[in-house]
Amino acid sequence: MTRALTWRAGTQAGRRWLAPAVWLLLLLAACLGMAQLEGLFRLVEPDSRAVVYARADFLVLLGRHLLVVGVAGLLAILVGVGAAVAVTRPGGRDFLPLVAQLASIGQTFPPVAVLALAVPVLGFGTLPIIVALVLYGLLPIVRNTLAGIEGIDPGVREAARGMGMTGGQLLRQVELPLAAPVILAGIRTSVTINIATAAIGATVGASNLGDPIISGIVNGNTAYVLQGAVLIGLLALTVDSLFARLQSRPVR
Amino acid sequence: MIDLIHVTKRFGEETAVEDISLSVARGEFCVLVGTSGCGKSTTLRMINRLIEHSEGEIHIEGQQIRAFRGETLRRRMGYAIQSTGLFPHWTVERNIGLVPRLLKWPAERVRERVEELMTLLGLAVDEFAGKYPRQLSGGQAQRVGVARALAADPDILLMDEPFGALDPITRETLQEELRALQARLQKTIVFVTHDMDEALRLADRLVVMHQGRIRQQGHPLALLREPADDFVASLLGGEDRGLKEAALLPVSERMLPLGPRLVARERVVQHATLREALSIMLWRHAERLTVVDDEDIPIGELSLRRLVGARSHD
Ligand SMILES: Nc1ncnc2c1ncn2[C@@H]1O[C@H](COP(=O)(O)OP(=O)(O)O)[C@@H](O)[C@H]1O
Ligand SMILES: [Mg+2]
Repeated sequence: MTRALTWRAGTQAGRRWLAPAVWLLLLLAACLGMAQLEGLFRLVEPDSRAVVYARADFLVLLGRHLLVVGVAGLLAILVGVGAAVAVTRPGGRDFLPLVAQLASIGQTFPPVAVLALAVPVLGFGTLPIIVALVLYGLLPIVRNTLAGIEGIDPGVREAARGMGMTGGQLLRQVELPLAAPVILAGIRTSVTINIATAAIGATVGASNLGDPIISGIVNGNTAYVLQGAVLIGLLALTVDSLFARLQSRPVR
Repeated sequence: MIDLIHVTKRFGEETAVEDISLSVARGEFCVLVGTSGCGKSTTLRMINRLIEHSEGEIHIEGQQIRAFRGETLRRRMGYAIQSTGLFPHWTVERNIGLVPRLLKWPAERVRERVEELMTLLGLAVDEFAGKYPRQLSGGQAQRVGVARALAADPDILLMDEPFGALDPITRETLQEELRALQARLQKTIVFVTHDMDEALRLADRLVVMHQGRIRQQGHPLALLREPADDFVASLLGGEDRGLKEAALLPVSERMLPLGPRLVARERVVQHATLREALSIMLWRHAERLTVVDDEDIPIGELSLRRLVGARSHD
């Protein structure tokens, strides 16, 4: 009986990891085996000299892409969750509308425009795209953290204070755990969007999976564009399914 | 034990509580009653400094509450509210053990205390310890809420309409259990309600509030017999006050020893209330009842005249 149960629990856990694993394998296979598909891309671009992007290794581009999105994501989480937590404290309430508004503006501002403005200040390379991604990714995180914390039953907060919890204990033991699923959903949206948005970094010299796309557009080589797009798509699906897996953990 | 001296609370322009003075003795069950918005919750929450009072002084055992840190003060007092405020992501066991853990009791002692309290409040440890709040009925959740308030064995218990959301039967059961618990543990309780029957049933000291002020306070019987003004009289039940008073007095209060006359056919147990006795009389069309003890042995009799308190010898 117990064995049967653990066995079933085991396979269920296995099944939940299935989607991320499949997407990851496809992504790696695509990175490593793009050259093998030369015949296929030749059909798309019969006239071009080269049909498989070869200026850099796809794995290296993938690594750089992940790095940019990862750093921008971490910064956005730090700033976004931090700001949302600060304005839900008794002392910071006055700034709540301001912060909510600023985050919205961050997202309505096109990342391309941010890049254009950032390059003169920060120079070419990775830095401007990280700035653009942080700004662009803040809104879902701030919005969801606010919603998650504000959505907690006021009775729970009153009881926590009435029992003698300090502000810090209330935040760490009650508010953040209860808001976690909503916050995680915000991070998922933010990161997934930014995986696609990061591609524009290639226009300012941040080499990542956007390179083949930009290069394809510039040289009129649709095969390059396709290769970049497929890899970015697979990366987004991998990361998104990882988040889905995290979110499906039983949350009380 | 708890003294409020000329306490006033203002929220901006609005005065929520105005110049109230109130002393609750050790072991006393004090009930604040009044219509919604009259300042009951505000008064209660000033005692544990969830709300800071604007004027006057509040003392606990002779010490100003401002002498303590808010958290320290609150860990020394139990607090139970209508919505229970149980943490939905914590098990019943963890919820009840909250304050002992805040006070850094060793884990083993917390566990023992939690089991003791669950037993005290009629929650089977095996069945409920691992459950989450959403798996509980309203009554069970409120028991957990009361257990959590009692966890660190505080001398003072503050309760804000804890039974307000329960069905009448569960509510009455919990009221009776709270009374019994109080008789046993001798806690000092300040209890807020807008339900006058609940207030009368529980209170040693009844405090009637209206528009932020105390209109009258004292023993429930004293208020029923001599309400200070028409407002208090009508809040206490108006014409129904006779029945409410009868509901507070036991049959043994008015019964006479068995007389020479024939024993009456209809019976009432000695610890029933006069209200219940009256109901039996109405129901059975009887003017006399035989009072029996728990073993159903006649020990006295009660006539309608005695019941209504007529000072005659019959
Ligand atoms: N935090 C607050 N801010 C402003 N006004 C409040 C606050 N809490 C209570 N009040 C006001 O104080 C009055 C008394 O409220 P309360 O003590 O909750 O009444 P009760 O518990 O008797 O229903 C009400 O008019 C209410 O609007
Ligand atoms: Mg209230």
